[in-house]
Amino acid sequence: MSQTHIDQRDPEKSTISISLDVGLYPIEVLYGAAYIFIDRCFVLLDREGGEGKGAGRFVVRLRGKSPLTTVQLDDLAGEFANELLSQALRRKIVKQNQKIIEEITTQAISGAAGGSLPTDFLDTADDGLDFLDDPLGIAVPWEDKFKKKKEGADA
Amino acid sequence: MSDALSTADQAGNVVRLHRTLYMQQAIRDAAETFADFASFAIARDGEYYAVTIADIDADADGDVVAEFCNFALYNTASRKRSKKA
Repeated sequence: MSQTHIDQRDPEKSTISISLDVGLYPIEVLYGAAYIFIDRCFVLLDREGGEGKGAGRFVVRLRGKSPLTTVQLDDLAGEFANELLSQALRRKIVKQNQKIIEEITTQAISGAAGGSLPTDFLDTADDGLDFLDDPLGIAVPWEDKFKKKKEGADA
Repeated sequence: MSDALSTADQAGNVVRLHRTLYMQQAIRDAAETFADFASFAIARDGEYYAVTIADIDADADGDVVAEFCNFALYNTASRKRSKKA
């Protein structure tokens, strides 16, 4: 016997028992799948056989919170097996993309905190100038400048 | 209960939770959550924690023992997750 296996089903008590090799999925995957099912049924995890690490089988006992038929129980077991696979895949993807996820999260947080703004924009010190002040004489019309020079030249 | 969750002993309401799968503190927290509905005694029994559940409130809505098991599992999973994070 290997992989996921239905050990026992009891429609009268709306229960089904599934077992799987300990080495098939990491324990976090088992917890993840069990967590998904907690709102729909009563879940009890057990372990039997095998003394060493990775030996033996995990046993998952599920009982519906409402009465279930044999077909529904089999569906429940199938859904649980699917969820195990889904959790395992999610875990693998997260592991593979861990660095990218961390990088994006860091950028998002630093962006939200204003860390990427140039420091010049953050300087709120008042330089004492009004927007109408013109210390460099930029706003003086060309004609005025020219007239003054011309008058000076005539004199 | 709860012979659904068949490690529970119907007569004495003793639930046996495997020590590699359930954390003791998580079981204690679950017992605290359900303290208003029953009394709980947790003891080590080989590879298991044996939780004796007595004085179950007859007026309690639902299956106290099975709900307790769900809470113990949820607490264990979330504790292990936060430990890892």
